[in-house]
Amino acid sequence: MNKIWIICQKEVVDSMRDYRSWSTGLFWAIFGPLMIGGILLMVGSSFREDVEKPLNLPVQNSQNAPGLIQFLQGNNVIVLPAPADPAAAVRQGDVDVVLIIPKEYRENFPLSETATVELVLDSSRQSASVNITRIENLLDGYSKYIGSLRLVARGVSPQVIEVVAIRQVDVATPQSRANLLVSFLPYFIIFAIFNGASPIILDTTAGERERRSLEPLLINPLPRRTFVLGKLLAAFPFSLASLGITLIGFGIVFNVLPVEKFLGTRIELNGKTLISIFLICLPIIFFASAIQMLVASFSRSTKEAGTYLPFIALVPSLPGLALAFFPVKATLWTMLIPTFGQQILINQFMRLEPISALNAVVSSVMTILVSAIITLAAVKLYEREQIVIGKG
Amino acid sequence: MIEVHELSKSFGKIKAVQSVSFSAANGQITGLLGPNGAGKSTTLRMLYTLIKPDSGFARIDGFDITESPINVQRHIGVLSDAQGLYPRLTARENIRYFGRLHDLNGLELEQRIEGLLAVLDMQSIADRKTEGFSTGEQLKVAIARALVHDPKNVLLDEPTNGLDVKSTRAMRQLIYKLREQGKCILLTSHIMQEVAALCDHIVIISNGLVSAQGSPNELLLRTGKNNLEDAFIEVIGSEEGLQ
Repeated sequence: MNKIWIICQKEVVDSMRDYRSWSTGLFWAIFGPLMIGGILLMVGSSFREDVEKPLNLPVQNSQNAPGLIQFLQGNNVIVLPAPADPAAAVRQGDVDVVLIIPKEYRENFPLSETATVELVLDSSRQSASVNITRIENLLDGYSKYIGSLRLVARGVSPQVIEVVAIRQVDVATPQSRANLLVSFLPYFIIFAIFNGASPIILDTTAGERERRSLEPLLINPLPRRTFVLGKLLAAFPFSLASLGITLIGFGIVFNVLPVEKFLGTRIELNGKTLISIFLICLPIIFFASAIQMLVASFSRSTKEAGTYLPFIALVPSLPGLALAFFPVKATLWTMLIPTFGQQILINQFMRLEPISALNAVVSSVMTILVSAIITLAAVKLYEREQIVIGKG
Repeated sequence: MIEVHELSKSFGKIKAVQSVSFSAANGQITGLLGPNGAGKSTTLRMLYTLIKPDSGFARIDGFDITESPINVQRHIGVLSDAQGLYPRLTARENIRYFGRLHDLNGLELEQRIEGLLAVLDMQSIADRKTEGFSTGEQLKVAIARALVHDPKNVLLDEPTNGLDVKSTRAMRQLIYKLREQGKCILLTSHIMQEVAALCDHIVIISNGLVSAQGSPNELLLRTGKNNLEDAFIEVIGSEEGLQ
């Protein structure tokens, strides 16, 4: 035990002096908060598009449909002259949508035939979607309005053609609009934990081998597990610092930026939530260090290990990305997967959902268990003589 | 005291060491001489327990290398072929780390380090980070950390490899000093002159086999040659790989 501490201490001092590598790790720790903060600032305002603001709508040949234009103007739309090339203007993003009223409209409309109008839009442009939907709804509303009038004129109740009436009950709170954004948070937290540990793991395992100092080290009278545990432990403070910095960063972003204005609500990242997330993430430090240690010990050189580790850091983060699009319920089986369970729990903490104590315990115990098994595999790897001879 | 009995080791199809037997006594310098790739380093690696023999056994101060490797490691100081240091630690910190891993600490450890720094004439570089050390300076740190726990048996793999004349002389002086202290010294070399000049007992290895062993005089008598160089070549059968 004492020897594990000696090895850990040496590796920490040694790594602290390697200013460049741990500061790279730190960069990743602030990367998440910077990224989310940036996204918040950029697209946050588009989430909060005010429906009551007058909508600017370029219309081509507005003289062909005076009734429609009047209807639109009565519904808070400012009708503007259309650009010369509507398709190009929309493609370039100069305008969100352009309404074109063809000549035929003028002929078809009085005959009660279906009159066609054209909407020029770019469906891949996220920021335009609010305006497009609004115009579509208005046009649809006008169509139904005139249709009803025509039926009434023929002595038919408009209800004849209204077979099913849809009444939408929207349960989305303003907060759930922010869910997409919030779902990315666990991804960055896990990423920071992995990246905090990796430069230290890289240097103490593959680096030790590459410097040709591993052989002299292993001649010291200690069981191999002592070396593995000492080196593993040395990565913990760096990983821990990275986790702490990331959480503080997120705390600052969500409490300083006017998140409420952008998203219509506050995301709860207060001190208590941050501490809960911190605690639930502690077993991941063990997991991230152990799995990276195993992979780095397996590699023949620092360069080789350096190509694997970022990938390793990415894999456990993938479920977090998936969570952003396919929300998963916090069932017990999800808690059995290290890093996945924690990501779901982090999401719950931030949404102030009730946390099942069983879930938290199962997730932590399972992660520690899996990490212990991985550590054992690393010890076995160090007990093989190939670790010295250098043949993978 | 090192006793080696019919040690063998193969890597795949390559028989690196075949049934090697010899013993190295306390207060003596024993040299393993042989061309590159003869199996000297493999033999040494088995003795310092980093690789396990396929057959045969060896004991160091009575401890079996396979059965109690940790006890063996406590009783040896090793300068291996790999002499990597920690470049961000100072020379003193490098030595101290190994001392602590050998259960030394406090004043006792600091005095040991101070003594070694003096013997190896390296006080001036003691508190410099080892990054950028010359080959000779690196070797001094490597030897100091190998001797920090005052081992009774000292295993040196090509100790003068890559050293200039001055450093080679200093290394030889140190080896003599260790012999005076009654230690058992086992070194490998592919340099005939070095082994001839240094060793009390010579084990000649080629192709993983011991071709002859004995004191320099015994080797001369056995081969009927009047200098060791001719005796070595007679025993090994060629000059290839020797210097």
